[in-house]
Amino acid sequence: MSDTETAAQAREKSAFWDALRTSTQTVPGLVAWGAVTGMAMTQSGLSSWQALLMTFVVYAGSAQLAALPLIAAGAPVWMIFFTALMVNLRFVIFGAVIGPHFSHLPWFKRIWWGYFNADVVMAFFPQRFPENTPGKTVGKVGYFSGLAVPNWLGWQSGSVAGILLASQIPPGWGIGFAGTLALLAITVPLVVNRGALAGVLVAGATAVLAHHLPFRLGLLLAMVLGITAAMAVDRFGAGTSPRRTS
Amino acid sequence: MSTLDYLILIALLTAATVVTRSFFFLIGGASKMPIWLQHALRYAPATALAAILAPDLLLSGDTLAVPWTNPKLLAAIAAALFFLRTRHLLGTIVMGMFCFTLLRLLLAA
Repeated sequence: MSDTETAAQAREKSAFWDALRTSTQTVPGLVAWGAVTGMAMTQSGLSSWQALLMTFVVYAGSAQLAALPLIAAGAPVWMIFFTALMVNLRFVIFGAVIGPHFSHLPWFKRIWWGYFNADVVMAFFPQRFPENTPGKTVGKVGYFSGLAVPNWLGWQSGSVAGILLASQIPPGWGIGFAGTLALLAITVPLVVNRGALAGVLVAGATAVLAHHLPFRLGLLLAMVLGITAAMAVDRFGAGTSPRRTS
Repeated sequence: MSTLDYLILIALLTAATVVTRSFFFLIGGASKMPIWLQHALRYAPATALAAILAPDLLLSGDTLAVPWTNPKLLAAIAAALFFLRTRHLLGTIVMGMFCFTLLRLLLAA
């Protein structure tokens, strides 16, 4: 029994290191983003301990940024909560992609790992484990944690630095752009076929046109239209799709 | 905002993270997703990332930036080409930041 246990542990461990090698390169981008978010928190009037508490437990950059002006304006707490929920809606879709892979775990572990399913984790995990593999559980927890740990550490160390050094770094430097570049490099390999290309173009255009929608709903609309475009191209586009969908 | 108010707010914001991220982790195994939905979700990562990227690269404040004087867009194009050639993520970030800073200073001058 202990033999099989150690063998299973070794497989999770090697998956963890695999994921770590893949994802550590994104850490500078995450640090830069965390730093920008940390600076924004301090500059909008939160005290250092308030900002630190927020970054360590809320762990959702876009929702934190959306909450800041509302906190500064003294908006009611329920309204800030509702705004954060809306801004986070894309995570519901991310959960639908990744969640089924962990259905073999007890409920508290599923909630635990779900909490760490941020954008970068979401981008890498399906490349290793496509949507038709939920029954196979080997290496998934290891791989997921190998993506989640550097993501969390990079983001939090950037945030802490941003909170503590807010006054030292001129905003004109635009260090947050490093985060954008990391995302760009993650996005490029995801464009695997014409469907994905159409999806990316439609999603990008929609996000630009709908950026004024409240609660960052433009992001959600962009995903829905982009996915629809990708599926339409897969179904009707020139009939060259290698995979039949029905 | 009092300390208690702030703690309540942080608890609610954390709930907003957990509820949205963990929702399908919690009920994921309960029902089998139809094939078309699995197919659709395959495109969720790419479209989400594109939707985050595009406004950041193309807009300046609330309006479209002029493409050929927009340091972010130009640096991103250079970075994307660099990544396609090298497939090196960290190098792409460094190279992109270098181009961005250079363009920002040149275009401001």
